[in-house]
Amino acid sequence: MIHSTVHENEITVIRPGVERLTAVNAKAFKDDVAGLIDAGAGMLVIDFSQTSFLDSSGLGALAGILKKIGHRGELVVCGLNPDVSQMFKICRMDRVFTIYQDEAAALQALSEKA
Amino acid sequence: MSQLLDVIVAEDNIVQSAYLARLIENLGYRALTVEDGKAALDLVQDSGAQILISDYQMPYLNGVELTQAIRDLDLDHYVHVILITGMDEDEIRSNALAAGADDFLPKGHNPTALKARLRAATRLVQHSKQLAEQHRILKEANDRINDDLNAAANAQRQLLPDIHTEVLGTQIASAFVPSAVVSGDMFGCFPLTDTLIGFYAVDVSGHGIHASLLSVAIGHLITPDFFARVVLKGQEQPAPANLARDLNARFSRSENDDYFTMFCGVLNSQTGRLDFCQAAYPSPVYIGPHGNAQTVGDGGFPIGMFPDLTYENDHMTFDKGGLLVLCSDAAHEAENTQNQAFGSERLEKVIKTSHRIETDGIPEKIVEALSVWRDRIPLEDDLTVVAFRRT
Repeated sequence: MIHSTVHENEITVIRPGVERLTAVNAKAFKDDVAGLIDAGAGMLVIDFSQTSFLDSSGLGALAGILKKIGHRGELVVCGLNPDVSQMFKICRMDRVFTIYQDEAAALQALSEKA
Repeated sequence: MSQLLDVIVAEDNIVQSAYLARLIENLGYRALTVEDGKAALDLVQDSGAQILISDYQMPYLNGVELTQAIRDLDLDHYVHVILITGMDEDEIRSNALAAGADDFLPKGHNPTALKARLRAATRLVQHSKQLAEQHRILKEANDRINDDLNAAANAQRQLLPDIHTEVLGTQIASAFVPSAVVSGDMFGCFPLTDTLIGFYAVDVSGHGIHASLLSVAIGHLITPDFFARVVLKGQEQPAPANLARDLNARFSRSENDDYFTMFCGVLNSQTGRLDFCQAAYPSPVYIGPHGNAQTVGDGGFPIGMFPDLTYENDHMTFDKGGLLVLCSDAAHEAENTQNQAFGSERLEKVIKTSHRIETDGIPEKIVEALSVWRDRIPLEDDLTVVAFRRT
């Protein structure tokens, strides 16, 4: 279900490919991204600009991906709409995930680290 | 085939009927003969036979009427209907098909044609028997699972406080609406000392059986003694964040993605001081005695997601006559038919307008507002609403 594109410096940009990341599709999302990590992707940007809503299961899947990548690489998120942003804030996920405004900002920041 | 299959032969001509019956018995079936449509219909019901060969012209009911009558019985097993018609009787055949006939046998009782029809019928009857048996086994398993689930739901409900209760002069009313039979939500409140009331509300991520197992485990773990020991022992002021930290240490060890959110607190029934810790649970709404509304808390980490997170104690004053309402995120996220979420603002408004009604009626009022918002479509997530009023 996810759409992924590989950019310069082997940075992979992932779009969940669903408008709502919920209990219905969170596991499939996590499994897809885990597959990319297992295949060697280490610099990940997850772009939520096309995703309007994450429920607690969606957030759980995202946390699971972060745990999986651990110290082996880097995971950042971007494109959070105000509702998702607020949800990140109430769960303090803004202190756990590095968040960028959009894909371009995320790519630039990760390129500088690469 | 261990048992001979019954074939009902409906034919008013005795000679024809006897001939057909002999052919059928020679093929290894048991033939049951009747001489009119009505008798055939009775025998279909009484014998449980699943193959019928019927003439078209018969007293009382003709072959098409008989077919229709059999289909109207809506039996729990299938009856394969073969009609004897002339090859050129297109209209009768088309009416028969519309009535529910399965196959046709040309007049003249050609033994080869009969054998082919009966073989096809037997295959279908055996197949439908296998399906019925599989269905029975699945239904039995499903019934057993549902019984277990209902028992689990009862056990879970018994962990919860009474829906209307009073602890040290504070009225507490709650509503607990699982989206399935069991819920991933849990809630508890109890006196900790002569003056202190402890409470917590937990919402496990996801819902259904998986989430409910964790919520029940948490419900069993957080006894009043456990709560008091973790939150009060060695503290000058109650430290509910210690409960969040303790639970996080226990539940963040596993490799899976399970986690939960919690709001817990300790209310001093004498002074009105409420010490609380918010662990990613939605901010409760507090309505002061004069009707002013405020949201409580500015967030906090969820529990069980990552190890070694820090949780903060916060406090507020809960005035006499004030109302504090906790709702799990199922309330905020409840969507109407246009996919619009109920949201915090609408929720706050409902709580604010409920301020003056009796505490006991407040959870039901919120549940009703959500139900109206969703056009009575059940919620997709487990809902908990708890209202506290200090008197």
